[in-house]
Amino acid sequence: MKPSIWKWSTRTVVTIGIGAALYGATSWIGIPIGTDTQLRPSIALLAIFGALFGPVVGFIAGFIGHVINDFITSGTVWWGWALGSGISAAFMGLIYLAKGFNPQDGEIRKGHIIQFIVYGVIGIFVSLAFSYLFDIYIMGEPGGKVIVQAAVAGLANTAVFFVLGIPAVWAYAKRNRNDSNLSVDS
Amino acid sequence: MSRTGSLYIEGNSFFHRMDGAVKLILLLSWTVATFLFLDLRIFAVMLAAGAAMLLMAGIPLKRMSFLFWILTVFTVLNSAFILLLTPRFGTTLTGSDTPLIPIGYSTINRETLFYVLTLSLKYMTLLPITLLFIFTTHPSRFAASLNKLGVPYKMAYAVSIAFRYIPDLTQEFRTILNAMQMRGLGISRGDGSLRRRLKNLSLIVVPLLQSSLQHIESVSDAMDLRGFGTGRRRTWYMGTVMSLADKLAIMLCLLLLGLAIFLKLQIFREFWYPF
Repeated sequence: MKPSIWKWSTRTVVTIGIGAALYGATSWIGIPIGTDTQLRPSIALLAIFGALFGPVVGFIAGFIGHVINDFITSGTVWWGWALGSGISAAFMGLIYLAKGFNPQDGEIRKGHIIQFIVYGVIGIFVSLAFSYLFDIYIMGEPGGKVIVQAAVAGLANTAVFFVLGIPAVWAYAKRNRNDSNLSVDS
Repeated sequence: MSRTGSLYIEGNSFFHRMDGAVKLILLLSWTVATFLFLDLRIFAVMLAAGAAMLLMAGIPLKRMSFLFWILTVFTVLNSAFILLLTPRFGTTLTGSDTPLIPIGYSTINRETLFYVLTLSLKYMTLLPITLLFIFTTHPSRFAASLNKLGVPYKMAYAVSIAFRYIPDLTQEFRTILNAMQMRGLGISRGDGSLRRRLKNLSLIVVPLLQSSLQHIESVSDAMDLRGFGTGRRRTWYMGTVMSLADKLAIMLCLLLLGLAIFLKLQIFREFWYPF
């Protein structure tokens, strides 16, 4: 059975910690595609952690991971984008609540993937809308410039989510399926 | 980078001795105060004060310079980007329009140039205090101080674990990357088309994820065996007791934050443009 998303066991604590470390440790990797924007594989890790452990773990791990990474690599914490990381992970983690979805036991269906795509795309959109408003109202950046950055980042994140995130969750679940990974030798 | 995944440097300045919770309050109130304004004068004062505090901490300049350059490059690029995309944005803030540099499709005006300067200074204002925080706070002490500020200890411990595992996971990522590169599956520019490189990247993500999940198993088992999470509270090996100076520092932070809010509401309401 899947544990409830509100239960804080030792495993939850460790998962958040390691998830944050993983996101923080891989955030600097990227294939540059434009000004200040990269195809960052770490977004896929957020999707995977959200799907495997739920929205609460996803949100906290994404937020902490982003803040720590900012601390050690950029000299300033971009709070708006850190919360944005958390928000997109939380949305992607909604799939965890879907009935019959349990990648740990290999239970995943095509319908889950469609749901996962919907949650993920909404999550990426909401998080960028949030970061966009945060940059305009709190940081005082010009909207015309932030919208360009947010749009490019959104496209990049969506691409990574589709190319890396979804296949990884699917592959992980298939690996754990215990009644179908044996084949009859003929 | 040290073994703990942070940039902490041993030392014995006033800020090294300061309680981690106090430094966190200082960082947060400084950040909020910076967010409030868009005024060059305020940022100049804060930047000078921040730099003075940073000098007091006696951190070797060499260690800090790379973060300084990262942020400088970022602000320069960011400013150039703003000037190119929204060359007349300053007018919406000041109402005036003084054309300065023609760039073909539009003209960069003096208002926008001054705005970009103010914004860059706003980002720079955040730098000294962040540096002060990361270079003088031990990660374990940081977790203890989060708990002291009222963050549940399980959450604080998760932060501590994250700091602890960043170097390990970075190392693991490098190992996997090297192994893949050896097989001709690199992710650098010379390794093929964008599609190819993305595909190679996905081959790294899966083993990295697998080993992280194994880490989760072994660490949570180890913690369970030691009875983590049985009590409602927990004590910290690295925990410190607040001194009188620490309490005074908190009062000062809150007082200055109050002053900042007052100034925002009464005097420095909007973007400051002297011309």
